Amino acid sequence: MAGETASQFLPILYPFGLGILSGVISIVLSRILSQRRRYNPIKFLPMECGQIPTGEGRSHFMMQYYSYILMFVVFDVMSIFLYAWAVTFFSIPKEATLPMMGFLGIMFAAMGYALFLSGRKGIW
Amino acid sequence: MGSITPDFRFGNFAGSIVQLVLVVVALLTVLILPIIFFTLFFVPLPVVNGQVLTPYLFFSMMVDPSRTLPIIKFLIHTDYFRAAVFPGFGFSALIAAATIFIERKLLAKMQLRIGPLYAGKIEGIFQLVADGLKLIAKEIIVPSGADKPIFWLAPILFVSTSAAVVSLIPVASGWVVANVNVGLIAIFGILGFFPLITLLFSWASNSKYPFIGGLRALHQMIAFEIPFFLSALPAVILSGSLNLSDIARSQNIFWNIFVMPINAFVFYISSLAELERIPFDLPEAESEIVAGWLTETSGMIFGLIQLGSYLKLYALSALFVILFLGGWYGPQIFPHELIPGASASNISLLKIFGLVGLYNAVTVNSIFWFMVKTFVIILLMLITRGINPRIRIDILLHTGWYKLIVLTFINLFIVLTLIYGGILGPGGMISPK
Repeated sequence: MAGETASQFLPILYPFGLGILSGVISIVLSRILSQRRRYNPIKFLPMECGQIPTGEGRSHFMMQYYSYILMFVVFDVMSIFLYAWAVTFFSIPKEATLPMMGFLGIMFAAMGYALFLSGRKGIW
Repeated sequence: MGSITPDFRFGNFAGSIVQLVLVVVALLTVLILPIIFFTLFFVPLPVVNGQVLTPYLFFSMMVDPSRTLPIIKFLIHTDYFRAAVFPGFGFSALIAAATIFIERKLLAKMQLRIGPLYAGKIEGIFQLVADGLKLIAKEIIVPSGADKPIFWLAPILFVSTSAAVVSLIPVASGWVVANVNVGLIAIFGILGFFPLITLLFSWASNSKYPFIGGLRALHQMIAFEIPFFLSALPAVILSGSLNLSDIARSQNIFWNIFVMPINAFVFYISSLAELERIPFDLPEAESEIVAGWLTETSGMIFGLIQLGSYLKLYALSALFVILFLGGWYGPQIFPHELIPGASASNISLLKIFGLVGLYNAVTVNSIFWFMVKTFVIILLMLITRGINPRIRIDILLHTGWYKLIVLTFINLFIVLTLIYGGILGPGGMISPK
């Protein structure tokens, strides 16, 4: 059974492999066909609008929306959990919707509280 | 054009071509045909039309075209054909290429420009060929200090991951590369790789603008992935399946968009964000951060990323059609037979042109309607690009978290009310079979 389930997914790999194949072929072809001029030190500098780059390319960068990332980690998983309920919706008894509403209520309350906290200044 | 040498003669040119053709023909007969026969001797061959397909039978069928039809029918029902040509990679790449050209022309007309004009006599239809040649002939510049393996690998992965998304899309009943029971979740799962590839590539380029663009791509995913997931939820409730073909089949009476218009809107908005298109093209905002995460791309690397993103555009438009616009259902406009009476007649020419045994009116009709709907959605996504400015990142996060999630739940409760009110679902007033 496990093998059957896995073999369902096998055809996904065919286009994936074709994509890799076409990508490799086109890049190799481009390497063969394109003319490569002589090295000069300015050519391989990272793009910085004509200036000579200062500092590291991979520096620390302040992203101000850290709280959303924390929320995403939780609620992304919760939103996928809802699919387990949605698929079996008509095969489980009708009363089972009530606990689901409770789950949604908790999810909403938590999300609202998290959004409220994320809007507050001075704690992030 | 200084490349033609002064002693160029057309006769020599034609002669060299004839010589080439002769060499190819000689190689074909001496080497390639025996190799084909040897391999076919060892490979177990399929049964076509009640007899085993030996190489001799294959070649005799090639000579008589009416006998070729069963072979073609057999070939187009193999997994490899589906993956490589029809609903899979080749077809979607063709659609992606057409979309690029249509987008350039359409946006030019919308903005009172002319657009591509010179390549090809009519309206620059060979622009894509010219672009492809240009991209292949350009030098790929890897910036100094870049993480080379990731820098080379990321564009290839971008294309192949998009192709993997396309492989899950059914274009007609049974016409899908991978008929997976959890197709919708699989698509969501594969789409989750794209911000990762973006971030890896931007990290690998060792430059500041790509890095900022990559981080923005991450934020965009964080803002729009949850509404994207939740907007497909009522469609799954109504069909009771995660299989995309089953979701499309559950809409044979009414399209889902009539009961969940809000969700369709949310899905459209979040797929625009997923595709990094205007108004959500923050990761490649030209006016702010040069070209975002694509700043250090050059030559074929840029071409591959372009191809991948348009494959994704096709895949998400097709997903919209499957979830909300009734998949492949539409009025039957194709005739039952291409040539009336062809299958009953004995004339083989009629059978060949009527494609007897190959032509299936229902399937052709399904594919036609699916393509028309997908094309409309692609056009909607293109037109949005022509008329909108870019939004700010805090507005983007605010829209995703405060508005779109709430909207999806409103529509979820509307659908639940309709189900418990006895209108939808099994035993309801309008119940899908």
